[in-house]
Amino acid sequence: MAKTFHLEIIATDRVFYQGECEHLVITAIDGLLGIMAGHEPLVTALPTGELKYMVDGKWRYAAISEGFIQVMPESSVILADTCELPEEIDIRRAQEARERAQEKLRQKQSIQEYYQTQAALNRAMNRLKISQKHFK
Amino acid sequence: MANMREIREHIDSIRQILKITNAMYLISSSKLKKARKALDSTEPYFYKLQETINSVLEHTPHTRQMYFDRRTDIPNEKRKKGYIVVTADKGLCGSYNHNILKFTEQELAKSPDIGNCYLFVLGQVGRMYFTSRLKNSSKPYVDGEFLYTTQNPTSYRAMEIARLVLDKFENRELDEVYVIYTDMVSSNVQETKMVQLLPFSRRHFGKAPDGTIKKLPKASFLPSPEEVMAHLIPNYAKGIIYGAMVEAFCCEQQSRMTAMDAATSSAKDMIKDFSLLYNRARQAAITQEITEVCSGSAR
Repeated sequence: MAKTFHLEIIATDRVFYQGECEHLVITAIDGLLGIMAGHEPLVTALPTGELKYMVDGKWRYAAISEGFIQVMPESSVILADTCELPEEIDIRRAQEARERAQEKLRQKQSIQEYYQTQAALNRAMNRLKISQKHFK
Repeated sequence: MANMREIREHIDSIRQILKITNAMYLISSSKLKKARKALDSTEPYFYKLQETINSVLEHTPHTRQMYFDRRTDIPNEKRKKGYIVVTADKGLCGSYNHNILKFTEQELAKSPDIGNCYLFVLGQVGRMYFTSRLKNSSKPYVDGEFLYTTQNPTSYRAMEIARLVLDKFENRELDEVYVIYTDMVSSNVQETKMVQLLPFSRRHFGKAPDGTIKKLPKASFLPSPEEVMAHLIPNYAKGIIYGAMVEAFCCEQQSRMTAMDAATSSAKDMIKDFSLLYNRARQAAITQEITEVCSGSAR
């Protein structure tokens, strides 16, 4: 069995995962990042994206929205706004959110509103993508 | 002996109030249940966030990031201090609001110039209090457009607040930002707390478990410390504000529940006392009538 490290994934509304993990792949701001036990200390921000981690030789997937990760050689902590398993994603809600955001983008908005809508659209698209990819 | 009618009216009015306090008690206890659930699920995040940020800051190399800028060139009297104060929307919750307001007053009194204090008040009660406050015409500045309720805190609302304060900090409209809220220590113990949000301070040295000071190893930041901090700090601010809002909401419901419970039981006591008085008055009236009838017939 591969060497493991302690992984904690904590979302604002719950503790998503807490336990041993063999391999973790995250989307950081500048690309994908793989983490295994004994990784050098590292801090980076996470945009909305996909997350996968290997437990007992099996990959697990999750949709994550903005947060950050702190990596230490023996442990890693991910703190994020939300984190969901593919089967937990409410597809209807995500679709509605996407449509709402697209509708809003067509209207004139201030720059800040524009960024907010874009972030909302991003989150909705990410949820839809992950639930389609891993949960049918 | 008091008038019978008067006593009856008094009892009736107490009954009315009792109904109100009892209803408020029931409402707040059901709200508390919800708030407690939210608090329980948020607390791990809130504490882990503070812990992680602390350890991240210990490993942060020197940055010129704007959120770390302590602006030492600005003298103490000229520093603009922002306070985010979390109060309730309504009264009738014991000393909850009073404690927060008193604490804030004390903090304001500490600063050399109260005109340089900016208050961002969450909740009606605090807003009314600080806008109407007149003391030697020196008033802290209360942001009138900062209209947020404290009911059912959401992370979206926290994000808006965080963005607003960070914007003001970036534009040099504020030099320091604090959050004042009530922390739920245990179900019976509440504590008014103040947390410094901005600017961030970086620690060069950490304390080893044996008490000796050691230089901490630097962690690497991808792609660069500045970039990471630019993402991380708004996130942190949001997390802290959200956590404070959830804690405060839970405390508010808790203190309202206790206050209303006390009010209900004292109303019950009063009704008991007054019904005794009423019965006595009734007895006296009956006795008097009988004596009157008897003396009338004896003639």
